[in-house]
Amino acid sequence: MLKDARIAQISFLALFLLLGISTRDWTLRPELLAVLGASCLGMQWVTRSLLPTLRHQPGVKLWAIPSWESALITGLGLCLLLRGNTVATMALAGGAAIASKTLFQYRDKHFFNPANFGIIVALLLTPDAWVSPGQWGTQAWYLMLFVGAGGLVLRWVGRWETSAVFLATYAGLEAVRMFALGWTADVYLHKLMSGSLLLFALFMVTDPRSIPNARQGRFVWAAAVAWLAFLLQEEFFVSTAMFWALFALSPLTPVLDRVWPSARFQWQEPESCATAPSLIHGLGSLE
Amino acid sequence: MIFMCKGWRSLLASLLAIVMFVGMAPAALAFCGFYVAQADADLFNQASQVIIARDGDRTVLTMANDYEGELEDFALVVPVPVLLTEEQVHVGNPDILKRLDEFSAPRLVEYFDSNPCEPQMLRMPSAVPAPAAAEADSVGASSDRSLGVTIEAEFSVGEYDILILSAKESSGLETWLRQNDYTIPTGASEVLHPYIRQDFKFFVAKVNLEEINADEPQNLRPLMMAYESPRFMLPIRLGMLNANGDQDLIIYLLTPSGQVEVTNYRTVKIPSDTDVPAFIEDEFGEFYQAMFQTAYEQANKEVAFLEYAWDMSWCDPCAANPLTPAELREAGVFWLNSGRGDEPRIAPTPFPQPGAVNAYITRLHVRYSRDRFPEDLAFQNTGNTQNFQGRYVIRHPYRGEMSCSAADQYRKAVRERQEQAGNTVANLTGWSKTEVYSKIDWLTERSPRRPWWRDLWN
Repeated sequence: MLKDARIAQISFLALFLLLGISTRDWTLRPELLAVLGASCLGMQWVTRSLLPTLRHQPGVKLWAIPSWESALITGLGLCLLLRGNTVATMALAGGAAIASKTLFQYRDKHFFNPANFGIIVALLLTPDAWVSPGQWGTQAWYLMLFVGAGGLVLRWVGRWETSAVFLATYAGLEAVRMFALGWTADVYLHKLMSGSLLLFALFMVTDPRSIPNARQGRFVWAAAVAWLAFLLQEEFFVSTAMFWALFALSPLTPVLDRVWPSARFQWQEPESCATAPSLIHGLGSLE
Repeated sequence: MIFMCKGWRSLLASLLAIVMFVGMAPAALAFCGFYVAQADADLFNQASQVIIARDGDRTVLTMANDYEGELEDFALVVPVPVLLTEEQVHVGNPDILKRLDEFSAPRLVEYFDSNPCEPQMLRMPSAVPAPAAAEADSVGASSDRSLGVTIEAEFSVGEYDILILSAKESSGLETWLRQNDYTIPTGASEVLHPYIRQDFKFFVAKVNLEEINADEPQNLRPLMMAYESPRFMLPIRLGMLNANGDQDLIIYLLTPSGQVEVTNYRTVKIPSDTDVPAFIEDEFGEFYQAMFQTAYEQANKEVAFLEYAWDMSWCDPCAANPLTPAELREAGVFWLNSGRGDEPRIAPTPFPQPGAVNAYITRLHVRYSRDRFPEDLAFQNTGNTQNFQGRYVIRHPYRGEMSCSAADQYRKAVRERQEQAGNTVANLTGWSKTEVYSKIDWLTERSPRRPWWRDLWN
C-alpha cells in the first residue's frame, strides 16, 4: 500500500507526460521541463524550510524539502499544461505556483490551486506562455486512461464527486446550448471528448487541499467553476476558459468553508494527536 | 555554401498533380461556405486556400477557391460573424496566395557530396509549392420579409455582386435562396440553423458577368473581408454538405508574432527533416501526397497538419523570397508599423534580419471529412516562436573518380545512407520497399552475400 495518494498521482502524471511526449507530437523542451520542476521544488524549499528556519521555527530541517510530493505534482501538472519559450517564464510559473500556497491563505488553508495559479500568472505576465487545449485530441483510448487513473486517485482521496459535478454541469450546459443551436449529437460529443477537459476535471479541479472541505460546498463550487468555464468558452471565446474559471472562483473556497464547515483534508493520517496541528499547518498540497 | 533555387517548374508541375488528385477524389465544394449552382453544373474545386490575418479581434479573411465552371452558374454562401458593409469587402490579388504558398510550401533540398579524396562542398535547394486557387460565384436576389430573410447590404466589388443576408429561421433562408434560384444542397437548412442562432450573417457572392472580360481567362480573384470579432474560427461545416469524401484546405495564418494552433483538434507537425533518395526530385509531388495521406491515416484522420511556421522576415532555405511589406498588406496584414511597402526586400538569408517585419506565418493543412471534423475549426494565437518547415533532403553522392583510401569507406557510408533514405521513404509513404529500392541510383551495388558454407569446404 502506498503511503499516500500523492505517490499514485505523481506516477499517473509522469505517465501522461511520457505518453504525451512519445505519442502526441508534443515538442517539449527538456530544459524547460527541468526548470518547471526545479522552480517548484526550489520554492517549496524556500517557503517551507528556509523561511521557517530564518524565523527560528522549531522542528524545521534546512536540508529537507517538506512535502516534496506536492511540489512535484504541481511541477508535473505545469509540465503537462503550460508551454512557453523561455526559462524565465517557466521559472516564474513554477515559483508563483508554490508561493501562492503561502501567500494566499485563509485560516491556514490556501485556496488557489497552485498549478492553476502558476498558469494564470504566466499567461498574464509573460508574452510567451500558452496552453494548448487541443493537445490530447479526442481519441477514446486516452480518455479511458484518464478516467481510470483519475478515478483511482479520487476514490482514494474521496473527492470523486467534485469531478462528477463539474463534468455533469459542464456537459449539461453544453447539451442545452447544442440543443438550442440545433447542432447534431456528434458536434456535442466532439466538444466533450476532449482529453484536456477530462484531465482538468479529474486532476485539477479536485485538489483536496484547496477546494471546499464540506461535500455541499464542493458541489456548489464545482458547479460554479463549470458554469463560468462554459460561459467564458462559449460566450467570450476564451480557449483557456477552464483555467480562468478555476482561478476566478478559487477565492470562493473560504466563503463556502464558512457556510459549510467541515474537517480539513490531510494527505496522511496524523501519527499522533500531539504533533498533528503543527504538522498539518501549511502542509503541502496537491496541485 | 551556395544556395540556388532549382527545379521550380517541374516541382510546380508535380505539385499540380497533387492538386488534381485532391480535386478529383471529392466532387468537392467550398471550404467555409458552399458553392451554390444555379444550374446543375459540374462542380469541381481543388484544395481550398484561405488567409487569415489576425491581431487581437481584428481579422482579415481572404478566401480563394479554384472554381472551374461556368461563371454564371455559381454562387458562394459563407457564414460571417458580423454584419459586413461594402467597405469591409475587397477583392484581393490572386498572386498573393501563390506567393504565400511558394514561401511556405514543403521543400526539397539538395546537397552534393564533394570528392572524399579532395574536400570541398556545394549544395542547392529547390522548393515546392502546393495547390493554387481562384474564386467564383453567382447569385440572383430579392427579399421576402415573410421568410425572415433581410438583405442587410447589397453591393458590387470588382467582379462580384455581394449580398449580406440575415435570417431568423434556417428554413426561411433556405426557401429564400431556392426562390431566388440558388440550388441549395440538401441538408443545408439543418446546418444553417446553428449559425442563424448564433447571429451569424450570410455573405453571398456571385459573379457580375458584365465585369468579366470574355476575352481574358476567367480567373476569379480572391474575396477578402475585414471585420472585428472575438471568434477566431473558420466555418467548414457548410462546405461539407455535398462533398463526398475528404476535402483539402490550406490555411495561412498571419499574426504579429507566434504560431497559431487549432484548439478543438490536434495540431500535428508533418514529418520533416528526413533524407530521401535522389529520385524523389522527379516525384516530389507524388511523394508528398503519399506521405501526407499516410500521416493523415496514422493520425486517425482527425488532426490539422502544421506544414510551416516561421517568422516572415527570413527563411532557411528559402523556397521563395519573403513577402515584401506591400505584399503582406495585400495578404491582409494590417498591423505592419514600418512598411510603406515599396522598399526592396533584403535578399533571403539564413539569419534573422533585425528590425524586419513583425509578421509570423503558420501554414496548416487540414484534410477533413464530415465524420472526423464535426466542429468548425477554432484557433488560438500562441507565443510559440519555434520555427518549423516541411523539409526533405537529397544528398547526392560523389560519382567522379576516387582514388584514395577514404573512398572505400565513403562508398560504404553512402550505401548505408541510401538504404536508410529508401527505408524512410517507404515508411513515410507506404510505398513498397522493393519499388523504392529499384528506383534508387545506388552508388555501389550490394555485394552478393557469400554463402557461409563456401568457406567451410573450399
